[in-house]
Amino acid sequence: MSIAVFLESYQGKMAKASLETLKAATVMAEKLGISVFGIIIDDTVDTLVQEAGKFGVATVKSSAGVTIYHPTMYARIITNATKDASAVFLPATVWGNEIAPMVAVKLDATPVSDIIGIEDVGTFKRSIHGNKIHTTVKAEGNLVVTVRSGVFDLPGEVGGSASNEPISTETVDSDNFIKLAEVLVAQGDRPELTEADIVVSGGRGTGGPENFAQHIEPLADAMGAAVGASRAVVDAGWRPHGEQVGQTGKFVSPKVYVAVGISGAIQHLAGMSTADVIVAINTDSEAPIFKVADYGVVGDLNDVVPKLVEAIKQVKAA
Amino acid sequence: MKIAVLLKIVPDTETRFQLNPEETDVITDRTTEWILGPYDEYAVEEAIRIKEKVGGQVITVTIGSGNEEKSIRKAMAMGVDEAILVESEGLAGSDPLTIAKVLAEQVKTLDADIILAGKMATDTSDSFVGPAVAQLLGIPVITEISSLEVREDGVTATRTASGRSEKFESKLPVVLTADKSLNDPRYPKLPDIMKAKKKPLHKKESAISPRGAITQIKAAFPPQKAGGTKIEGTTEEVVSVLMDGLTTKEKIF
Ligand SMILES: Cc1cc2nc3c(=O)[nH]c(=O)nc-3n(C[C@H](O)[C@H](O)[C@H](O)COP(=O)(O)OP(=O)(O)OC[C@H]3O[C@@H](n4cnc5c(N)ncnc54)[C@H](O)[C@@H]3O)c2cc1C
Ligand SMILES: Nc1ncnc2c1ncn2[C@@H]1O[C@H](COP(=O)(O)O)[C@@H](O)[C@H]1O
Repeated sequence: MSIAVFLESYQGKMAKASLETLKAATVMAEKLGISVFGIIIDDTVDTLVQEAGKFGVATVKSSAGVTIYHPTMYARIITNATKDASAVFLPATVWGNEIAPMVAVKLDATPVSDIIGIEDVGTFKRSIHGNKIHTTVKAEGNLVVTVRSGVFDLPGEVGGSASNEPISTETVDSDNFIKLAEVLVAQGDRPELTEADIVVSGGRGTGGPENFAQHIEPLADAMGAAVGASRAVVDAGWRPHGEQVGQTGKFVSPKVYVAVGISGAIQHLAGMSTADVIVAINTDSEAPIFKVADYGVVGDLNDVVPKLVEAIKQVKAA
Repeated sequence: MKIAVLLKIVPDTETRFQLNPEETDVITDRTTEWILGPYDEYAVEEAIRIKEKVGGQVITVTIGSGNEEKSIRKAMAMGVDEAILVESEGLAGSDPLTIAKVLAEQVKTLDADIILAGKMATDTSDSFVGPAVAQLLGIPVITEISSLEVREDGVTATRTASGRSEKFESKLPVVLTADKSLNDPRYPKLPDIMKAKKKPLHKKESAISPRGAITQIKAAFPPQKAGGTKIEGTTEEVVSVLMDGLTTKEKIF
């Protein structure tokens, strides 16, 4: 018996969420005294296999020459590779969430979605009702587990190497398929919101979209951060929906979360309060965001942010 | 065109949740407000828009435990034509794979061209049921869509995945799950609310029994983060204190 991990990648680049998922799978495998193997599906897989080895994976099963994402095909390949595994772990990304249910149906396995912790073999922590309640669930049988991004640490680099075994690509049902017509890669080099180590979010206190560009984006870029927003900002049309953090937006769990001009409504906190370090910048010293902030800067963002950007640039240049 | 919507009725996440004495789950009682699953509401709206554009019929399918009718009538007032309700405490509280099997069983009888669902039910937060139903029916799925174009013989949908914008084409039938940017759900008008009372709501039963492979053994409020350190002073002072913390203590730069 072993545990399979789908190491999601896109055009040869491993998703950070894959490594966190590897960590989660390793935690459970160690409790069971069994090994973890990786599953890689991409056009060229050699560098990805090497990378998996570096993080302690001894065996990778791979499918090379796949140039296009297709959920049914990915689910088929993963199922073919995991017939003997006691559990399959996938990152709870859009792809992972789409593929995991298909794999669970094919294997008739027990699904455990979006875990935020592992207490014991088959005992997981989850969060429900818009992150307002944490639960512990016990699951039996073969498992298909998805792992929330940003919760598990990255595994340590052990500098090993992995063997690579091709996955049988039993013919895929070719009829009634969806077709991925087009992929537009996001512009710029900011990290993705749910994957970022640092998130800088702006709220209504920024005063408008132009100030977002003037203050929030430069701060994010200085910190190498992703840009987020409160719902007030998204509803006002200042920023796209995809950037909303909170109960009805994205759940983020970065190392550092910087809330600028955000009051800290409970629905916003539901999406970010698991960040390791929270920085808030707000003029109102009574703002609820200060109750969760490790660094609660009372001040006007128009004064504080430019000075902060300058200071960060100086430190980075030194 | 026949459009089925998988519609879950959930406690409003605005509820002030309380735990049961065993601390295994939250309590729902008369004060709990039951609403259309927020993502399911986008699915309902989209289904009605498709009907208004190309003609057809919209049928919702719900598994519930007795708190659903008011919300289903609301969906009918928005424009849903008929509803199927499987009322079973045991099934409603079961694992997502069982839920998917029961929904697939019901949807199969409808012969729908498009099956819409939410990307996630906000109560149990599994993001599982849509693709599982597709797999059980042996048809394709596109999840978390933010735009949709429907033709006679297929659909084109877009979504964002890990920062990339992906565009898919599919033949019919297809399962689609809605993300929040898909549309702005309408508010039902008074005459439609009256009309909705007379629309057919079919109560059905299912012979499928829960797998019982998952047990929730504990529920708790998330640990409160002990923040609360305020930094006050001139701009220079606050920036300097913050930078010192981020570099020396947190080692971020
Ligand atoms: C069902 C439901 C779901 C919701 N989901 C979400 C969600 O997912 N995400 C979310 O964010 N919200 C959500 N909300 C909305 C939430 O309740 C708040 O309305 C919203 O978060 C407020 O956004 P804000 O903090 O940007 O604006 P405000 O509350 O208006 O706060 C602006 C802050 O900026 C400060 N400020 C003003 N000027 C300056 C300045 N010059 N410098 C520094 N600070 C300044 C002010 O002191 C204030 O604290 C939801 C609400 C409901 C009912
Ligand atoms: N009990 C249910 N009745 C009807 N539809 C459901 C039910 N549970 C889940 N769904 C559908 O599946 C979607 C995803 O739910 P979940 O996988 O539980 O997050 C929901 O948004 C609904 O569209």
